[in-house]
Amino acid sequence: MDVGVLRRDGRTDPFFDGTAAGRLVVRRCEACDRWFAPDASGCPGCGEEDLGWAEASGAATLVTWTVLPKEPPVFLALVELAEGPWLHARLDGVERADLREGLALRAEFEHPDEGESYVLFRPWTERGSVR
Amino acid sequence: MGTSIVGLGMTELGRVYGRSPRRLAADAVRLAAADAGLALADLDGLLVSHGLGGSPGIELADTLGLRDLRMLSLVNSFGATAGAMVSYAAMSVLNGSATTVACVFADAPLKPRQSAGSAYDRGARGGTGGAPGKAEWYGFGGMTAALGLRSVNSHYALAAQRHMARYGTTSEQLGAIAVATRKWAAGNPLAQMREPITIEDHQRSRWVSEPLHLLDCCLVSNGAVAVIVTSADRARDLARPPVHLWGWGQGHPGDRKERGSDFGLTTGAAASGAAAMKMAGVTPADVDVCELYDCYTYTVLVTLEDYGFCAKGEGGAFAASGALGPGGSLPTNTGGGQLSAYYMWGMTPLSEAVIQARGDGGERQAPSTDVILVSGNGGILDHHSTLVVSPHEKGA
Repeated sequence: MDVGVLRRDGRTDPFFDGTAAGRLVVRRCEACDRWFAPDASGCPGCGEEDLGWAEASGAATLVTWTVLPKEPPVFLALVELAEGPWLHARLDGVERADLREGLALRAEFEHPDEGESYVLFRPWTERGSVR
Repeated sequence: MGTSIVGLGMTELGRVYGRSPRRLAADAVRLAAADAGLALADLDGLLVSHGLGGSPGIELADTLGLRDLRMLSLVNSFGATAGAMVSYAAMSVLNGSATTVACVFADAPLKPRQSAGSAYDRGARGGTGGAPGKAEWYGFGGMTAALGLRSVNSHYALAAQRHMARYGTTSEQLGAIAVATRKWAAGNPLAQMREPITIEDHQRSRWVSEPLHLLDCCLVSNGAVAVIVTSADRARDLARPPVHLWGWGQGHPGDRKERGSDFGLTTGAAASGAAAMKMAGVTPADVDVCELYDCYTYTVLVTLEDYGFCAKGEGGAFAASGALGPGGSLPTNTGGGQLSAYYMWGMTPLSEAVIQARGDGGERQAPSTDVILVSGNGGILDHHSTLVVSPHEKGA
């Protein structure tokens, strides 16, 4: 499935600065010690609308998934970052038989020739990426 | 004093072209007033809602020539709106701020020669600013869409898959809902899809977004539906048998997508159904018929669980038992629902509830309709409304 070309929108630039450098940068409210997805509009705890950015570990677990009938199949998921927030994401290097709640994942980064770098999530063990 | 639905107006539904949402809404309100035996001038309240095809606007009142209204508003709780509107209308009648309120929904997302799917594919769309044929996507949301998450279908697939992984729910069990609903549709002249289907047909229908097959997904329709709410006292003198409002509720759990979320497993139906049934003085055992929002087969399954018709996690087995179809213990979506009849958001289940309560179901009339439960669901299982309606006055 062709991804096309990703461009910045001015609101999530630190996220794409992060993907370019191979780091997962998401939103964080320092005051409430709470992490959010990169497109979060504010912190419901304190009302702060101008959330800061912080680097997440990249460790995640699989919450749920869906498979698009493409060739090859496209695996989409909700993943839970170790820091707590969920991201809508695409999985890489998985087969249907691998998929289960809690599957350990790790953010990995793609750097296309044109456009912004982006993040995928791959199965992961202590010894490194499974595939 | 009680409140009642006294009028039902439905335009032609489905691939109906050439009429704007406002025109469709105006037609539905006129039909509802005529159905009730009321003049348009008898209306003193108008609540307006819409789907993705544009809003009729509160200018609808001017289109209808309504004067001296005492209540006029747009209402939007997404798919939970129909039940919400009816409850606001009933509360206004009860507190005296209006006497006779029309509630209307209109939508016209379908365009000639356009697929139903494309009418509702509202993900961030790639532009064409880059190289020829190469889509461009903007920001984090654009990245998510570029990677494949572009459709509401996939969001509901994520929800259904979570239930499957947690409770062992199967695609065949979802198929049982599609099959039962289609059986009901066969008896509804207004249904867009009336050809019988089998579990095998369901299993063979193409994947839309696993674990959802095409036959797990609702139709897309153009049209409008209106109902009129007034006092039970006034309802006695009108043209059609009143459909009495026994209870209502809403549930908006506000689940955030973060650790601990019940997304996909439990919905606002739990709070909404409990509130509506408590107000009505009934329990699930008292319910004769369910008219449930069925944007997807899975929505029916999780709503049945959350309402308490079966335990959490047992919705699949309950559906597969045959309870929901003709002859089953809990006739559900007796007109064919949104899956097989027509997709007028929350007005699909509400319109069929009115038809059943009046005994107008013809060959699909349910054997008993003393207590009918009606649901609305909006967002990705984010918003819920419930109505309990009956042909009988409450406490009578």
